Amino acid sequence: MLGLAAISLVLAASVVIGVWGVRAARSTPDFLVASRSIVPGWNALAIAGEYVSAASVLGLAGLLVKNGVGAMWYAVGFTAGYVLVAALAAGPMRRSGAYTVPDFAEYRLGSPRIRRMCGLVVLVIMLLYLLPQFKAAGVVLELVSGIPYWIGVVGAGLVVSSTIAVGGMRSATYVQAFHYLVKLAFIAGPAVFLIALAGPETRDAALNLSADPDWSRPLLDLDGSGHPILATVSVLVATTLGAMGLPHVVMRFHTVAGARAARRVAVSVIVLLSLFYLWPVVYGLLGRIATPTPEETDVVPLLVPGAIVPGTVGAILTALVAAGAFAAFLSTSSGLLLALAGGLSHDLFGGSLSRLRLGVVVGTALAVALSLPAADVDINVLVGWAFAVAASTFCPLLTLGIWWRGLTAPGATAGLLVGAGTSTGAALASVVLDLEPGVLSVLLAQPALWTVPLAFLVMIAASRPGSVPEWANEAVLRLHVPGRYSSGDSGAIPRARRENRVDAPDETG
Amino acid sequence: MNQRVRVTSPQTRLALRRRSDATGRLSRLAGRPPVGRSAIDLDDAERALRRQRRLAVRTAAALLFALAALLTAAFVTPGRLGWAVLFFAPYPILLALAAVHVRRAERIEAEYLEDH
Repeated sequence: MLGLAAISLVLAASVVIGVWGVRAARSTPDFLVASRSIVPGWNALAIAGEYVSAASVLGLAGLLVKNGVGAMWYAVGFTAGYVLVAALAAGPMRRSGAYTVPDFAEYRLGSPRIRRMCGLVVLVIMLLYLLPQFKAAGVVLELVSGIPYWIGVVGAGLVVSSTIAVGGMRSATYVQAFHYLVKLAFIAGPAVFLIALAGPETRDAALNLSADPDWSRPLLDLDGSGHPILATVSVLVATTLGAMGLPHVVMRFHTVAGARAARRVAVSVIVLLSLFYLWPVVYGLLGRIATPTPEETDVVPLLVPGAIVPGTVGAILTALVAAGAFAAFLSTSSGLLLALAGGLSHDLFGGSLSRLRLGVVVGTALAVALSLPAADVDINVLVGWAFAVAASTFCPLLTLGIWWRGLTAPGATAGLLVGAGTSTGAALASVVLDLEPGVLSVLLAQPALWTVPLAFLVMIAASRPGSVPEWANEAVLRLHVPGRYSSGDSGAIPRARRENRVDAPDETG
Repeated sequence: MNQRVRVTSPQTRLALRRRSDATGRLSRLAGRPPVGRSAIDLDDAERALRRQRRLAVRTAAALLFALAALLTAAFVTPGRLGWAVLFFAPYPILLALAAVHVRRAERIEAEYLEDH
């Protein structure tokens, strides 16, 4: 009950901040363009808030207990992705003036068809990413209140889609920044208490990793495949390159003033992620001692407090962690749903606001329906697939589109088809075929290692030099030139000009 | 004096402008050069692109090297330190890579702007 109360408090606070944000925006005549002047610090907090999902809050610690310390390579990859975002994508993407990845594809390749294709890929990635978020909401609610899994998932779907409908869109930045702080506080705070309360014996046992050499080997051996290095490298490739291709993250870089600010935001996000990823380790190490064989790995962070400090204190700590996990679900899923709805209405059907709302409802329904049978799959495995698909599609599209003039619409189309087809196909095959653990099972369950190079190769090979349009040269050059004429460097739009510029990302994208 | 004026609320005006802005943006992008109104010096831009690209390739290579080194370090460091390497070492390294890249990229841009 305590857990349910804490979750309700987080939810209520989010709604209050959301409503306040909307009202604050309304009081100025230019609320639609205010987004361009969002302070980089807030924006970084919002990106981190959206990005630190249930996979990080719940999944990492669970995977640590189940597969050993190598699970932390997920966190390393999640963070390393932002080095690539800063180096390859943030600045030029901001200058393109495109709000979404499909927008950018159309800017760069001049083909409305490729925009629709990218819209489809956005749907696939967002759905794969939404599934584990809803799963997390279901297991958290089941654990803290005894509500059956499916009711929790459906309820969470109702809550998220109605918060977006009420008007969370415009104030999403502040709500998500708040969620980052909630997650950090409600994971780090209880962790400090747990370390203090665990007692010397438990602490020593938790740190004595040599007792279990298999567990303490710092490589990610997925389900005992016997090829830990291969699995680790493939997970690193998927998470690092996938972070660069996540549509909802790319969208966020358009709410800052310019290309410079966009790059700096990416660096700040690395700081915020580093701060967060110190804490799942505590739950993983203590969990190995306190809850060595959990029935459901994804709820380890919720079980550890009760196992270490029984009674009221444990219950309070569990409630805090549960609230943090729910904040993770709330911020990530609403960001994902907005990107998904944007993909549905804006990029696929040419949108209006009512279509956008319909898109949210349809997206939620799909994600809820799909997460009911996914109850047994680990959160990080599902999130890993979303990253693998992003890494095999949008990562090559953005990298080549930004840095190589030779990319053409047919090349991009072929690469997207091959990348999306192989990565989703491999993930599906690994579920359906149920192979013996081995090289093949690793390469199917973690396909990024071969699907990403394949997508790059196809894009390059299928872009015939003869068919590069004349204007492609300038379209690429413009992304790298600072100054007044590239939209990304105009800075916050001056007050006098705001009247004439209406291009808020949450309305058009 | 007999000119007709369409009276709309500020919200409607914003919505109408947004629509025309969106379609304007799309037609500007589809099949036509995205440029035109203000010319850029193509040779200078070319130089800026090449410098930025070299920097980007270097950062990506450094990231690859750093991750490979971390993987090796975590693997070969004996006993307790192996996992400590994995838990704590990556983040300062990643931050340094990104920060150095951003500083250099901004310097290239500053030098470009000085010439213009």
